[in-house]
Amino acid sequence: MSAVSSPNWLYGAIQRRRNRSLGGLYLVVAAFLILYAVLFPGILSVGGFSKFTQNWFPLALVTMAQALLMLNGGITLAIGPLVSLGAVIAATTMGTALGVPGGFLAVAVTGLAIGAVIGVIVAHLRLPAIIVTLAGSFIITGVALILLPRPGGFIPGWLSNTLAGHTPVAFLLLVVVLVLWKAFLATPLGLGIYAAGDNPVGAFRSGVPVERVKIVAFALSGLLAALAGLFVAAQTGSGDPIIGAPFTLNSIAAAVLGGVGFLGGKGTMRGAICGSLLLSVMINVMFFLGFPPVAQYVAQGLIIVGAVAVPELLAQWRARR
Amino acid sequence: MTDAKPLLEARQVFKGFFGNPVLKGVDIALLPGRVHALLGENGAGKSTLINLLSGALQPDSGAIVVDGKPVGRFSPAAARAAGIAVVQQELSLTADLSIAENIGLGAFPRRFGLIDYAALHRGVREVCDMVGLTEPLDMPVADLALGRRQMVEIAKALYRKPRVLILDEPTSSLSAHEAGILARLIETLRDRGTALLYISHRLNEVQALCSHVTVLKDGGVTADQSLSGIDGEGLVRLMVGRETGDLFPPRAVSSPGALRISVEGFSAGLVRDIGFSARAGEIVGIGGLVGQGQEDLLLGLYGAIPARAAKAEVSGKPGLPAHVGAANAAGLVYVPADRKHEGLVLPHSIASNLILPSLGRLARGGLRDRAAETNLIADLARRLTIKGDVARPVQALSGGNQQKVALAKWLPLDPSVLLLNDPTRGVDIETKREIYHMLRAFAAEGRLIVIVSSDTPELVHISDRVVVLREGRVAAQLSGTAITEEAIVGAAMGVNTQGVAA
Repeated sequence: MSAVSSPNWLYGAIQRRRNRSLGGLYLVVAAFLILYAVLFPGILSVGGFSKFTQNWFPLALVTMAQALLMLNGGITLAIGPLVSLGAVIAATTMGTALGVPGGFLAVAVTGLAIGAVIGVIVAHLRLPAIIVTLAGSFIITGVALILLPRPGGFIPGWLSNTLAGHTPVAFLLLVVVLVLWKAFLATPLGLGIYAAGDNPVGAFRSGVPVERVKIVAFALSGLLAALAGLFVAAQTGSGDPIIGAPFTLNSIAAAVLGGVGFLGGKGTMRGAICGSLLLSVMINVMFFLGFPPVAQYVAQGLIIVGAVAVPELLAQWRARR
Repeated sequence: MTDAKPLLEARQVFKGFFGNPVLKGVDIALLPGRVHALLGENGAGKSTLINLLSGALQPDSGAIVVDGKPVGRFSPAAARAAGIAVVQQELSLTADLSIAENIGLGAFPRRFGLIDYAALHRGVREVCDMVGLTEPLDMPVADLALGRRQMVEIAKALYRKPRVLILDEPTSSLSAHEAGILARLIETLRDRGTALLYISHRLNEVQALCSHVTVLKDGGVTADQSLSGIDGEGLVRLMVGRETGDLFPPRAVSSPGALRISVEGFSAGLVRDIGFSARAGEIVGIGGLVGQGQEDLLLGLYGAIPARAAKAEVSGKPGLPAHVGAANAAGLVYVPADRKHEGLVLPHSIASNLILPSLGRLARGGLRDRAAETNLIADLARRLTIKGDVARPVQALSGGNQQKVALAKWLPLDPSVLLLNDPTRGVDIETKREIYHMLRAFAAEGRLIVIVSSDTPELVHISDRVVVLREGRVAAQLSGTAITEEAIVGAAMGVNTQGVAA
C-alpha cells in the first residue's frame, strides 16, 4: 500500500474510483444507444453519427454549465436565456466587420462576463443563486429581444457547414471541452468547486478561496451556455432570441439523471455528460417510436423522477436489511 | 522552556456576538515544545478563542501576535502562512473527494498550474503513516467511519507542517487505539518543537499530555499555570464557581408526588439504554457537556424522535408517546432550545404565537372563537408579565421575552410535564430570575419540570435532582446537598469526585 508504483498512480486510482456507482448509468446509456442503433441504423454511418452528436452537443454543453454550479452547491435558471443571447450575438456580429473570430470572441466574453457578474452577486451579497439567476434570466431574455426582436441575423454558410454539416466536428469539440474540463479539475481551483460545494465552511478554513471559486464557476457556466448558443445559431443558420428556453430545465434534468445532487459536492461531470446523452437518446428514441409529443413530455418526467427515486429506494432497502 | 519565545499569542482579546461579550480580555501564549491545555465549561469561550487564533474570526480589540509581532487582519490563509494549523471539532472534509485530495486541499503542490499528484502522494503518504491511516489514499472520505475521518483531519493539519497545532477535542470520536496513536504523535511533535494547544473534556488525557493549562470561565482567564501538582479535582475547581446573588428562588421543601415519568432501558438518538424516573412537583435537571444526549432524552420522551424502552410509563399510561400529538394529549410539552427556529413563528404576532397550540381547542363549530382567544391572550400576557402590545411581531421582543412567549403558549393545555431545553440561553438576568420563579411556582402546583441546561450554577440552584449524562449514559444522579458544581462538572468530564450519591 505504501509503495508509490508510478507517478500517476494516485491520479489514476482516484479517477477510476469516480466510475464506481456510475456502472448502472453506463449500462442504461449503453442499452439506449444499442436500442437507438437498432431502430435507426443510420447512426452508424459518419453522417448519421454527426447528426446525432450535433443534436446532443448543445445539451451536453448546457448540462456541463448546470452541473458545474450544482457541484458547487448552486443552480442556475439563466441557462436558456444565455443560450438565446449567445445565438443572437453570434447572428448579429458575424455578418459585420467583426467577422467570425470577432463574433466568437463577443459570445465568449459576454458569457463569461454575465456569469461572473451573477457569481459576484451570489458570492459577495450572499443571495440565493436560484433567485439571482431567475432575475438574470428575465434581464438576459430582454436584452436578447432588444438586440434581435425576431429571428434573423446572419451566420456564414461555411461555419454552419463546418459545425453542423456531415462531419463529426461537434463531437470532436465536445471531446476537447471534456479534456479542458479534466485539466481544470486537476487544478486546485477546480477541486475547490467540489470542496466549496460540499462543505463551504470547512473549505474556507482549509484555505480554499470559496468566493473566488464560486465566481469562477458561474463565469465558466456562462461561457459554456453562451457557446452552446453560438452552436445552435450555426445549426439553424440564424439567431432566435427565445430558442434557448427549453435548455434551462433540460440542463437540470440531464444533470439529475447523471447523478448530480442538489446540495453540492455530490456527483461527477462524467455522470452529468452521460445524463445529457441519455436524455438526448431518450427524446430521439421516443420520437422514432412514434410517441405523440405530449406523451414524450410525460414519459420524460416519469423517467427523471424514477432515475432519482430508484437509487434512493435501493439505498433505503439496503439500509433496512 | 524558560527562555523560549511564544510562537503565537493572544493579548487582551475581546470578542462579542450581537452585544453579548464572549471573551473579555483573554491572554494566552503558545510556546514551542509545549503542550498547552485549554479548559473551560460549555460556553466559556474556548471555540471563539480558537477561531481568533486561527484567523477565522477577528478580535473586537486586543491583538493576535505571531513571533512577537502583532498581526493586523488575520485570516485563515494568513494563519496557514504563519504555520498555524487547526484540527476543528467539526470536520472540514469533502465527502466525495479522496483522502489524498482532502488532505492536500488548500495547500496542493502544483506543477504547471495543475495539482502535482505525485508530490501530493508522497506528502500525504508521510502524514498518513504518522497518524496510522492505512486506507488507500484514493478512497473517498465518505466511505470512512467518523473516527477515521477525524484521523484524516489530523493528517490534513500535519500536512501543512505546522509550527503551531491547535487540536479542538480531537479524541471525541476516536477509539482508544486511535487516541493512543494521537497521544504518541503529540509527544513526537512536542519534542520536535511544535507549539500545541490541546482542548479536551477528558481530564485524564489533559493530565497525561499537557504541561501547562489555561482555564477560561465566562470569557475570562481564571488560571494560567503549570499543570504539575494539580489533580482532576483541582482542575474542576478552577473551572466552576460564580457569584449568583439572589438570582434563584429558595428551594422549596420538596415532597414529590405521583410518578409521572418512569423509563428503563431507554434509548433515543445518542441516549443509550438508561433508566430515568421523575415525580410530580419535582424539578429535575439534566446536565453534562454539550451533545451527550440531553436533547435526545427530552425529544425521545416527547415522541419527537424514534425511541425505545424496555419498560416505560409516562403520565400514568404504559409506553412512550408515539408522536408529539400523543405526548401533548398526555400532558407533556416541550420548549426547544432553538426558540427562533423551533419554538416560535418569528414574523407572527405575540398573540398568534401564544394561541398556536390552543387554536383547535378554542374553535367552535370549526371556526375560530375570537373572543375566547382574546381572553386567553390577555390572561397569558398577564401571568407571564409580557408587557406591551401583543400585536407586535415576536421577533421584536428581546431573547428573554421571546422565551417567555415560547413557554407561555403551552400553559392553556395545563401540562403536567414540562420538558425544557436550555430555557435561559441568551436570556437577560432579570428575565432569568422571572423564569426561575415561574418554574418554582409550576413545581409547587404539582407539575414535573425536566430542564436541560448547559449552565451549571443554574442546575445547582434550581433543581431538586440532577442527572448528568455522559456519552449517552447516566454518569451521575445527584440530589440534595450532593448537587454541587464540582460534582456536576466532575461527572460530566468523567472525574470521580466524592459526594456522588443518589
